[in-house]
Amino acid sequence: MHIPDGFLDPKTWGTLTGVSAGFTGYALYAAKSKLNEKVIPLLGITAAFIFAAQMLNFPVAGGTSGHFLGAILAMALLGAWPGFLVMVVVLLVQCLFFADGGLTALGANVFNMAVIGGLMSYYLLVLSKGALGRGLSERTSLLTCTAVFSWISVVLASIACSFELSISGTVPLGTVLPAMVGVHAIIGVGEAIITTVVIAVVLQSRPDLVDAYSRSPEPGKRLAREVA
Amino acid sequence: MKHDFIDRYSKLESPVHALDPRAKAIALFALIIVCVTTPPGAWWAFCVYAGVVVIIAAASRIPVRYLLSRVLIVLPFILMVAVFIPFMHKGGASYDLGPFAVSSEGLLVLWNVAVKSTISVSCLILLSSTTPFPNLMHGFERLHVPSFFTTVAAFMYRYIFVIVDEAQRMKRACESRNFRGRWIWQARTVGYMVASLFLRSHDRAERVYQAMCARGFDGTFPLQRESRMRAADYIFLSVVVLTVLAGRLVILWK
Repeated sequence: MHIPDGFLDPKTWGTLTGVSAGFTGYALYAAKSKLNEKVIPLLGITAAFIFAAQMLNFPVAGGTSGHFLGAILAMALLGAWPGFLVMVVVLLVQCLFFADGGLTALGANVFNMAVIGGLMSYYLLVLSKGALGRGLSERTSLLTCTAVFSWISVVLASIACSFELSISGTVPLGTVLPAMVGVHAIIGVGEAIITTVVIAVVLQSRPDLVDAYSRSPEPGKRLAREVA
Repeated sequence: MKHDFIDRYSKLESPVHALDPRAKAIALFALIIVCVTTPPGAWWAFCVYAGVVVIIAAASRIPVRYLLSRVLIVLPFILMVAVFIPFMHKGGASYDLGPFAVSSEGLLVLWNVAVKSTISVSCLILLSSTTPFPNLMHGFERLHVPSFFTTVAAFMYRYIFVIVDEAQRMKRACESRNFRGRWIWQARTVGYMVASLFLRSHDRAERVYQAMCARGFDGTFPLQRESRMRAADYIFLSVVVLTVLAGRLVILWK
């Protein structure tokens, strides 16, 4: 889903670069109180972790495989804005050092995988977790919402990607949308399984590391305290 | 441990490697942006861009085979567009290829994405293969990229090898116990691997931070040798940018 250079026209990548730059600027501002020199090593190593986790391919069906996206995982573990920034760094490094995703398409890739598939899906997760939370235990509602919205995150990102490609006149929407969404609906199942298992295991052994889990102590100061 | 999978060949010695990271980054980014905004019909302009890329690649002494193998990363995307071409029916003459009718409009779109993505990917690969990661990050910092990104990326670079190694060790352990991913529900096993990878990475982050504090870390990464923009850097930058712009503008005059 990392769009290379040349697949988007200037109006599309220009707009999305602006939008993503805006989100990134706001994220730096919103997470400012948390971003001291104590947290930076944690964020850097989480970025390396997301990167390494993306290298573990999982089978989809037959010979094809999908890989992990990790946006929901990063946000559930670190909180929305620090998680967003980690995803931006991962996409930046993939673009510059692996040519995975283009330079002019970087804004679009950040928009798809960190804004639509990240922030938007994560806030939907938080909202529905609150709604579910009245009937169920927090652990159950968190895990259920993680599963559902990890899948939604991947599918939404692929829908955004299809629209961008078709607005740019690269591929016709009518054919690309079903193809992209079909493939990512399956990849999303893998994403949902992995993200849910990771959150479940981390909740078991270190619940204090899951930012989305409110019963861990001192929700606001957790990041800073963790590495202190 | 594969230490060099990020910026492989970045420690060779060549005129391109010796340039300041800023000069290389600005010149190659300019090339990418000009290339991507060129109309697909401007054949000569693309020849000029490709010529510039080939000259830089030749001067950098990076093995051609390696460069080509890295450029292949865009191939799946180009193939994806190629698959959709028979479904494009707007305008232009159409050619019959067996059961499919291919419009010239569709072929132009395919040419457009193929040439632009190949040239841009080559530029990015040349940049990362001729500049060590820390130097490039330092260059970005001097170009006023927020230091948050350069510092986090610097940490990422230091530990990516360790963590990728850990991930590969788990994968090997898994395979040696006859785990072979066949079906999607086996993603659960990958989930357990990712979870323990995260817990281990997190513990490592704590140890690393404490070790760094013990050695006087204050949030910045000092560089042994400050690199300076010299005459050669300005010449490289202006020659690349002017050649590329000239290639772009020639089309406008016609």
